[in-house]
Amino acid sequence: MGKIFDVDFMIGIIPNILKGIPYTLLIAVVAFFFGCVIGFFGALTKIYKVPVLRRITGVYVSFIRGTPLIVQILLIYYGIPILIRMFNERFGTNINISNIPAVDFMLVAFSLSAGAYLTESIRASILAVNKGQIEAAYSVGMTTRQAMFRIILPQAVKVGLPVFANFFIGLLKDTSLAFSAAVPEIMGQAKIQAGRASRFFEAYIDAALIYWIICIIFERLVAYLEKRSSRMEGGVQA
Amino acid sequence: MIRMTGIRKAFGSTEVLKGVDLTVEEGQTVALIGASGSGKSTLLRCVNLLETPDEGTIQIGDFSFEAGNITRAVRLEARRKTAMVFQTFGLFENKTALENVTEALIVVQKKTKSEARRIGEEYLERVGLADRASHYPSGLSGGQKQRVAIARALALDPQIILFDEPTSALDPELVQEVLNVIREVSRSNVTMLIVTHEMDFARDVADKIAFMSEGQILECAEPEKLFLHPEKERTRQFLDYYLQKFTYSI
Repeated sequence: MGKIFDVDFMIGIIPNILKGIPYTLLIAVVAFFFGCVIGFFGALTKIYKVPVLRRITGVYVSFIRGTPLIVQILLIYYGIPILIRMFNERFGTNINISNIPAVDFMLVAFSLSAGAYLTESIRASILAVNKGQIEAAYSVGMTTRQAMFRIILPQAVKVGLPVFANFFIGLLKDTSLAFSAAVPEIMGQAKIQAGRASRFFEAYIDAALIYWIICIIFERLVAYLEKRSSRMEGGVQA
Repeated sequence: MIRMTGIRKAFGSTEVLKGVDLTVEEGQTVALIGASGSGKSTLLRCVNLLETPDEGTIQIGDFSFEAGNITRAVRLEARRKTAMVFQTFGLFENKTALENVTEALIVVQKKTKSEARRIGEEYLERVGLADRASHYPSGLSGGQKQRVAIARALALDPQIILFDEPTSALDPELVQEVLNVIREVSRSNVTMLIVTHEMDFARDVADKIAFMSEGQILECAEPEKLFLHPEKERTRQFLDYYLQKFTYSI
């Protein structure tokens, strides 16, 4: 008879599960970065009410928010190969689908998903900056781009920091869904280890603890950043 | 020197400016007075195109443009020849006092950092805030913020400085420190157009006072003439109201 709860097994497989961390971080960081880029331009189309583009942004945000992430992941996972095959047929190219690692599909899926949510967050952060700031920037002769990058965005980032941090933590945990597309991230490694010994609970406890610790480290980092950026409120340059 | 001719502006169906002519000669200070909603601020904001006039011509020094022909380049040029002091200060919240003054010198006027810094410190000194150079706006009082804003405007060395009710958002005890700075500036050769509700200040500082009512300039004259011998009944009513207000508010 085996043990009811195998502590040695639980500890023993930790190194294997840790191998998933690079995938988890890679997906989260890359998706957050491209999500911010997509979100910034998405927000601009809405703020400046750009014809046509803002409709496209609207449909995009609505679709991503209205469908589960797991469905989006599977659509990308099965959809991109079909698109590539169509492309090959149409233009006579010979792109080999099986040469593309699964994690690349996930980078696309998570970036697109993050972009939609961040469109709304970034839009709200930019609008939260006092309208007088852009007028002041114009009044000294800045172009719209100079005003945006030198005056508005730095303030918007500060306003939005807690929201963006929260979103990033959510994203970190959502990467666990990437295993459904065969990416061996933390959750994937846990499942592999669990399956080998048929000891699921132990493996999932490991996964939970690892996610938790990563999030704690990240929260510390954000607290530090918030403290640093609030120097503007203190009144004197740090 | 700036010259506005036949400026018209409507917001939707409300006509705010109904063909305004106004000239501010070089080195002159003109105060723009009138009731709230008479179009003073809108007129001021038409000069640097924060509002776009529907009709009329504006000349700033040797640069002039027509209402129908305002491109992005025209906007930039109009703004680079002028500076504005806002009612709610408009200091960049993410920049220190000194950076507020130097930012446009570096980014817009392409001066070197050390040159901008030298100019910035000089003008902060002039408004009496050299010791606040490294403070962020949130660490300054309203009066100090407005003085930094004035330093920022002066440092740009513009053809004209536009003041949009510079003391209206200040606590009463902070009004004088700002007015004193503007008064001091008006003695030098800076061209200024000031929208204000401070009648005593306007009388003291302005070479000419323009009275606006319902989107038109009814009178424009030297302070003594306008205050003591206004030509129009509407001007008299407005001034009576203000004088009364100051007589009875103890």
